[in-house]
Formats: sequence, C-alpha cells, structure tokens
Amino acid sequence: MKKVKITIEGMHCASCANNIERSLKKVSGVKGVTVSLLTRKGFVECEDSVSDEELKKAVARTGYKALAVEKE
Amino acid sequence: MNHNHHEESIEESEIRSWKRKLFGSWIFAIPIAFFMLSERFFGISLFEEKTTVITILVLGFPVVFLFGWSTIRGGIRGLFTFYFNMDSLIALGTVIAYLTGIFSFFGFVQDYSGISAMIMAFFITGKYVESKARGRASAEIRKLLELGAKKARVIRNKKEIEILIEEVNIEDILIVKPGEKIPTDGIVIKGESAVDESMVTGESLPAEKRAKSNVIGATINQDGILYVKATKVGKDTFLAHIIRLVEEAQGTKVPIQKLADKITGVFVPIILALAILTFFNWWFFTSDLSRAIGISVSVLVIACPCSLGLAVPISLMVGSGMGAKRGILIRKGEAIQTMKQVKIIVLDKTGTITKGKPEVTDIYSKVKESYLLEITASLEKLSEHPIAKAIVEKAKLKKYKQVLNFKILRGRGVEGTIGKKKIVIGNRTLMKEKNISTRDFEFTINNFESQGKTTMIVSENSKVLGIIAVADTVKEDSIQAITLLNDEGYRTVMITGDNDLTAKAIASQVGIKEVIANVLPEDKAKKVEELQQQGFVTFIGDGINDAPALKQSNVGIAMGTGTDIAIEAGDLVLAKGSLLGVVQAIRLSKATFRKIKQNLFWAFAYNVVAIPLSVAGLLHPVIAEIAMALSSITVVTNANLLRRARV
Repeated sequence: MKKVKITIEGMHCASCANNIERSLKKVSGVKGVTVSLLTRKGFVECEDSVSDEELKKAVARTGYKALAVEKE
Repeated sequence: MNHNHHEESIEESEIRSWKRKLFGSWIFAIPIAFFMLSERFFGISLFEEKTTVITILVLGFPVVFLFGWSTIRGGIRGLFTFYFNMDSLIALGTVIAYLTGIFSFFGFVQDYSGISAMIMAFFITGKYVESKARGRASAEIRKLLELGAKKARVIRNKKEIEILIEEVNIEDILIVKPGEKIPTDGIVIKGESAVDESMVTGESLPAEKRAKSNVIGATINQDGILYVKATKVGKDTFLAHIIRLVEEAQGTKVPIQKLADKITGVFVPIILALAILTFFNWWFFTSDLSRAIGISVSVLVIACPCSLGLAVPISLMVGSGMGAKRGILIRKGEAIQTMKQVKIIVLDKTGTITKGKPEVTDIYSKVKESYLLEITASLEKLSEHPIAKAIVEKAKLKKYKQVLNFKILRGRGVEGTIGKKKIVIGNRTLMKEKNISTRDFEFTINNFESQGKTTMIVSENSKVLGIIAVADTVKEDSIQAITLLNDEGYRTVMITGDNDLTAKAIASQVGIKEVIANVLPEDKAKKVEELQQQGFVTFIGDGINDAPALKQSNVGIAMGTGTDIAIEAGDLVLAKGSLLGVVQAIRLSKATFRKIKQNLFWAFAYNVVAIPLSVAGLLHPVIAEIAMALSSITVVTNANLLRRARV
C-alpha cells in the first residue's frame, strides 16, 4: 500500500471533485480517494503496483489535468 | 519551496483569468443588455428586428464562445464522457439559448441569444467573485505553505555561504542572524537568542534558545546570532508535517456532508433530466416552443451543485486556517462534528496537565546519598522514562557503573545487576511483586506522595536503600484551562499511571474532581472505553505514549511538545503544549460545525426553492443565473464570516 498526493488543475466546481474521485476509484488497486476542490489536491491510497500514469490517466479521463503525483 | 510557490500561482492565475474573462465578456454584454432592456421596457428598437438579432449574435459570440470557451468545452466534454459537471449545465443552457438566435431567422422560435450572452457574463462574474472569496478562505493555509525559508546561510569548507533551502543537508551548520528565519529544524550549538515561534505553534511569547535547544524551521530569530545544526530537512520538518496534515485534512469528510455529497454526485444528470422533462411538458401543454426553451434554460442554469458541494469543505478550510494560525491542527473533519457531542474530557496527567519533565525534589537515604544516586542513575541511564532522566540529570555522573541484565518493567520500574548486586528500582507495586519489604519507609513514602510527588524505591539485594522523590510541576496555564472546561460543563477526568495520592494532589491543584490513578499505559484505552459507556469522550494526551487511548476516544487531541508532534495520533493536534489550546480547539470545532450547518441549510434551501420556481416558469433565465451565482458566493462568504467567531 502507498499513499500519493496528486495536484490537479482545472477543478472549479463541486461536481468536478466528485467526478475525479469517482474516476480514480475505478482504477484497480485504488483503495481510498479524497479530492479537495479547494486545495486542488487528491489523496489516493492504493496498491504499490498502481502507477502514476494510471492515476494521471484517470484524472485526464474526467477532463482535468494531474500536474504532479508525489509519493507521501 | 519552489513547489509551493508554484501552487500559489495556480490560484492567482485562476483569479486573474476569471478577471480577464469578466472584463472581456462585459464589454460585449453591456451593449447587449442595453438593446434588450430598451426593447423590453421602452419598446424602442434601435434597428430593425433582424438587424438587432444579428447584432446580438455577433456581440454575444465572443461572450459565450470566447470568454466562456473553457466552460463550454469542459461542459460539452462532460456530456460525452458522462462525467457531468456544472459546466455541462451552463454550456447546454447557453448554447441552446444562443442557437435560438440563429433559428429565429427561420421563424421557429423566439430569439434568446441575448439571454445566452447575459447568462455567460453573469456566470463568469459569479466565478470571479467566488474565486476571490475562495482565495480569502484559504489565505491562512496559503500563508502556511509560504512560511518556509527560501535560503539558508551555511558553513561549508569553513566558509559562510548562502544556499537554497533545498540544498541544506542534515548536519549542516546554519548561521541565523537576528531578524532572519531559521531555515530548518535543528539544534542550537552556539549562541543565545529569543525566537518567535508564533507562526507554527501559536505561542505568542518568544522562546529562549541557547546551546542544545531545539529550534523549528520557519520561526524567526529575534536578537542574537544562532549557530544551528540542521537535524531535519525537507519533508521531515515540523512545518512540512503541519502543512501535510492541514492539506490532508481538507480532503476528509464531515459526516453531515454525506447527503450533500451524494446529491452533488447525481445532481447534474438529475437536472439535465429535469430540464428535458420541463421542456417537453411545457411544449406539450402550451404548444409554445419558445417558452418551453426559455423555461428549460432557466432550469439548467439555476441549478448549481456548488453551493451544496462547497458548503462543508469551504467552512472546514476557513476553520482549519484559523486553527493553523493558533497552532491547532484539525486532522479529521469528522472530529468537528463529534466534538459537539462530547461530554467527558479525559486528560492524561504527565506532559498534558503537567510539564512532563519531572525533577528530583527529595532524597531519603539509609546509605550515602552519592552511592544511592550512583547506582540509581547507572540503571536509569538505560531507560527513556522521564523520571529516569530526572534522576540521571540530578546525579550528573561522570562515569556510570556497568549494568547487566537490565530490564524495563513497564509502569513499575527497572531492574538490573551491578557487580553481584541485584538492583530493583520502582514503585510499591514492583516491590510487592519482588517481595521486598518497604515497611520501614512507609511513612516517608506516604509523606512524599501526599505532596503529589512520585517516589522511586531503590533496593539492593531485596533490601530498600532509600527513596528518591520526583515531582512534575503543573503547567502555568493548566489551571485556567481546566477551570474553563469545567465552567463549560464538561466532566473532566484525570488519568495517570501514578498512585492515587500523587494523582489527587495534582488533580486538586488544577481543579479536577475525578481521578483514575494507577493505570498502566496499555490500559488507558480500556479506561476510555469504559467511560464511553457514559458519553462521548475526548482524550487529551501527548500522542506518543497515548496513541491507543487517543484512537479509542471519540475525539483524540494530541498535544505537541513544541518541537515535535505526533502526526498519526489524534483527530486534532496542538502544536504547542498548552491546555488552553484545547479550550480553543473545542471552541473552534464548535464554531466551524455551526458554520457548516448554516451553509448546508442555505444550500439546500436555495435549491429546494429555486428549482421548483424555475420549473414552474416563474424565473427569467438571467435572474436564474444571477441567483445561482449568488448562492455559491453566499456560501463562501458565510464561511469567511467564521473568522468573526471568538476562539
């Protein structure tokens, strides 16, 4: 298990955060997700096997951009 | 700190970009408003009808498709990917309204293109105001992110050079001049000065620092030059921990927001469906296609998930920011809600009510005092217990005796052998356990204990040699804080591993009536659990030894020691070790939760009233859009008003 912090660009409404949470949860190996619209950060708890790219893609799928994925 | 700098500019550039769009869109929207109003209220048409429509279409195009482009693009994409957001509603509303202008040439429908531009202009205005207000809401947290020093002065190759903070390594010797920020966490090796730590601990009085003092990065050196050896850098510093804690907390949920979150998740598709239904209904029953379009556009643009979705996080953010400024860190949103139900406050004694740094106050010895101290200190040197440290400090030995078979007997004492002598040092329980008689010492022990002192019974080969009394003094503001808690109607309980007498002496000093004494560290959580049967419990402890009890309690409050905080334990964390912080933390939690409830009420009320009104065709689309923008602005502004709360 690892914990990563994703900085996300382009969120501007409450549904946005909700959408990104939903999309990230669909990535296999992801256990927990919280996305804050206000701090533009997403915190993901997931298996070590989940790659940054997969997470970035999940964010991109909803129309937003993951600027950085950092391991906590 | 480059990275944090970057974040700052995202926020600012967002506000700047909305501002640009705001001016741009109104340059075109004002003439449109002028045409629309003059026609509507004065019946004056400047041009012939078709020319007016064309003019509005031309003027409206940049408003909707240039300044509103990011919204239109995001919204339409949302419609195709099924990740709907608020943009989807606005995009649909404005594009449909705009298209009516083109279709009006063929006589199908009334022209709504002016309205389309007005909706977009008001939407952008709302977003601009909201982004500004959001910026205010996060001001304290942003300040925290920027707090770190950017540069450091270090000694490298015997030369003093200035380097970027990222280049500082552990063990580097930093030179901090008066008025400068201490670059990173470290230990003073030379120099004396007062340091202002208020920015990270909330402590308003400057702390005196001299050799061996710990210093925190980002605090400000006031009057002397300090030579500091860096002990922590980058992600491991006190400030970095605080920042991470505050950032993470923003993503945590407050239980009361569950319903709002659920609604936000399905809000947009429901509104889309509702708008379609409204459209067909009106069209079918009135055969008025234009009216049906107008009304469904109102439905699309009045509905805003933002007020609902922002109600809780924005309040939490303002609350967290206010807390961070005072050294109160809210780790979990849930704690804010639970705090309201708490009836019992359990306080750990050592380090929480008291300074946690006991000192040797009395020595009663049957042998030479120096011998008693020598053997005691030699054993205690091997223990990390605060009482052990007090004894070691008192003895100040230059050389320690060699101790074999050393063992820590948790909550009771220590044992070991020196030469051929078996030494056992500890409390009465331990002596009883080892069948060591303390009969001749009972009077002395009781006398010390009645004064609230902890006694260490020192025995050699099962014979007691003497008693060392150690006392831990109450923190200056503990009495005031506990009085405040009692006055607010909390049942205050002190829990400690000390014996009844010691415990009661301290408790009566600070005004606590209930005492649970003789509790082994591992049993604290159990005691908390027992108390929970009588009501919600807040446990207050140092977070290092008390982690299980903190977790067990309904709201755990971990007290920092000033230079270190236990990150993982505690729902609320206090950076400075003052119980007054607990009083503040409780007040802040309650005030924040009140704000959350208010905001949720307004957000629900707005949607419950506004959506039916627009479905019923009672709201003009532009009025609907203005109302929508106001609803989210209200929520954010109301959250900002939390700052007025007395904490």
